[in-house]
Amino acid sequence: MWFDLKLAWRNIFRNKRRTFIAGTAIGVGLASMIFTDALMIGMKDNMIRSATKSFLGEAQIHREGFRLTQDVKKTISNLKALISRLEKEDSVERFALRTVSFGMITSPASVSSVMVYGIQPSSEKYLSQIDDVIKEGDYFAGDGEREIVIGSDIAELLEVRIGDRTVITVTRAESGDLAQEMFRISGIYNFNVKEMDTGMAFVRLSKAQEMLGIGKDVHEIAIEFKDIHFASRAENPFWSEYSVHGNEAVSWTELLPQLNAMLGIFWISVMVMGFILFGIVAFGIINTLFMSLYERLFEFGVIRAIGTRPSGTRRLILLEAGALSLLSIGLGVVLGFILTLIFVKTGIDYRGIEIAGTSIHEMIYPVIHAQQYIIYPLAVFVFTLLIGLYPATVASKMSISKALRKSL
Amino acid sequence: MENSREKIIVAENVKKDYKEEDIVVRAVRGIDLTVRAGEFAAIVGPSGSGKTTFLNVISGLDTPTDGKVWLHNKLLSEMSGKELSDFRRDHIGFIFQAYNLIPVLTVEENIEYVMLLQGISRQERHHRVMEILAEIGMEGMEKRFPPKISGGQQQRVAIARAMVSQPDLILADEPTANLDQQTGAELLDMMRELNRKTGMTFLFSTHDPMVMERADRVITLKDGKVETDQRKNQH
Repeated sequence: MWFDLKLAWRNIFRNKRRTFIAGTAIGVGLASMIFTDALMIGMKDNMIRSATKSFLGEAQIHREGFRLTQDVKKTISNLKALISRLEKEDSVERFALRTVSFGMITSPASVSSVMVYGIQPSSEKYLSQIDDVIKEGDYFAGDGEREIVIGSDIAELLEVRIGDRTVITVTRAESGDLAQEMFRISGIYNFNVKEMDTGMAFVRLSKAQEMLGIGKDVHEIAIEFKDIHFASRAENPFWSEYSVHGNEAVSWTELLPQLNAMLGIFWISVMVMGFILFGIVAFGIINTLFMSLYERLFEFGVIRAIGTRPSGTRRLILLEAGALSLLSIGLGVVLGFILTLIFVKTGIDYRGIEIAGTSIHEMIYPVIHAQQYIIYPLAVFVFTLLIGLYPATVASKMSISKALRKSL
Repeated sequence: MENSREKIIVAENVKKDYKEEDIVVRAVRGIDLTVRAGEFAAIVGPSGSGKTTFLNVISGLDTPTDGKVWLHNKLLSEMSGKELSDFRRDHIGFIFQAYNLIPVLTVEENIEYVMLLQGISRQERHHRVMEILAEIGMEGMEKRFPPKISGGQQQRVAIARAMVSQPDLILADEPTANLDQQTGAELLDMMRELNRKTGMTFLFSTHDPMVMERADRVITLKDGKVETDQRKNQH
């Protein structure tokens, strides 16, 4: 075996230029796979962060049926105990309480429907990014109960500016009567997501609770976990443990199915790209091995004539494929690491672009994982050997007398 | 005396047809031949007379269209591909025209290749390689690669590789074709000497008059048949 290995290793250097070209092609293919994987992880994390950090949170707790009906009477049950439990939960970084209700916002110029969110500015500041995207005015800077923060598109529609008055109309929980309150525009935000900039208005939680007549109750608890991937795992006991007493705990994957589907498509596209790259690599390997085989046909004839079994010939070609693969893997791993490292340092600027209803706010940084340097090289190695089986089988089945005449 | 020696090759009505673009070429048209141990024989004839084809058939490199071949009393047609490989490895040494060494292996590695296939120990391989290198006058050249030695030296190494595993039969297909006359003559003398010393059977396929001069049996083929079979002298 050692002798065969030595022979295979020396054989691949017989035509250095061809080995260099084939090795580079395979190496570049591998480097592309490594980089694409790192970029996709970075992009996925970025999109999850963008989607969840804007306002949604990585998970939410509601009363069962609230998400479907938006019925303001469906407030979270057992709230105090729930808050106390969440405060002790190791996996939870922070959470914020909210009321959520349909409403009308009216200005002297126009009227529009909005989702009115009652929020605690202090806790929301760290969980969501409303304060980061304030375009005009400020984010609940004063103590006034009648401050309201609205989106830039709705401000334009209502023709209002900072300090202008608007009237919010909501339905009270118990009686179903309409409640109206006057608010002054204290801040105008711009998330660069149409749905958010046209359809949301934020007021203080206590004022919203008062308008809705729900006492100290809330409709939604938005949660941020310590690990960004925690919420993606459906098998976490968290979901069942908090889906009790008529409440339901759901992850962003359920709240934003379109984003989840989009990320699924991402990985499909990576796999398709992988198949294309591996296809190119496959043809490169087959071409190289066949060229090498046909060039040395007489030699293979001699090797067979002097007593090498068909399996020995097959092994020799496979070892050459393996040696070529190892060279290419070395090159691909180094190239892939350097390429990824460059973009880990510089980042890729997709800021301002909206994908699947999610606006990218941060630079995208590829993420280096050890598995990229284990799985992909291993896949290339196994794949090369599998592809090498074809020329190896041809070599093992060739007619010795024809090979000795230098033609198949 | 002659007939008492063991039969190494027995060919019985061997025929070989080729099909090339719908045309059947009858390369060998029924050859009966027996070669006994220790012979130094040459199959001669013009190009296309079927020399190489016959050599390929009797060595198991090709299968006959009709007829039977026994090598060392074993019927080749009854052997599988793997058995044929093993049989060639253990009983036949091959010498071809040229380029028959593996250029990425050193002289020593080329010679020991067959022994490696036979599973002979490293120490024994090295010992035998050094011994045969001395015999062919190439001591000290074991670490050289084939492209770095002359054509004559390469053929010497090929002879050493064919003989080192001590086979019963050496088949040489035009071994002097690419050599100058002096080198060819030297190599033939060397093989004749080795034949006398070791008793190994040599069968050449050639149209080199030098081989015919040295062979003690000359089998002439014409149109795929044995035309004449002459024994000159015996040792």
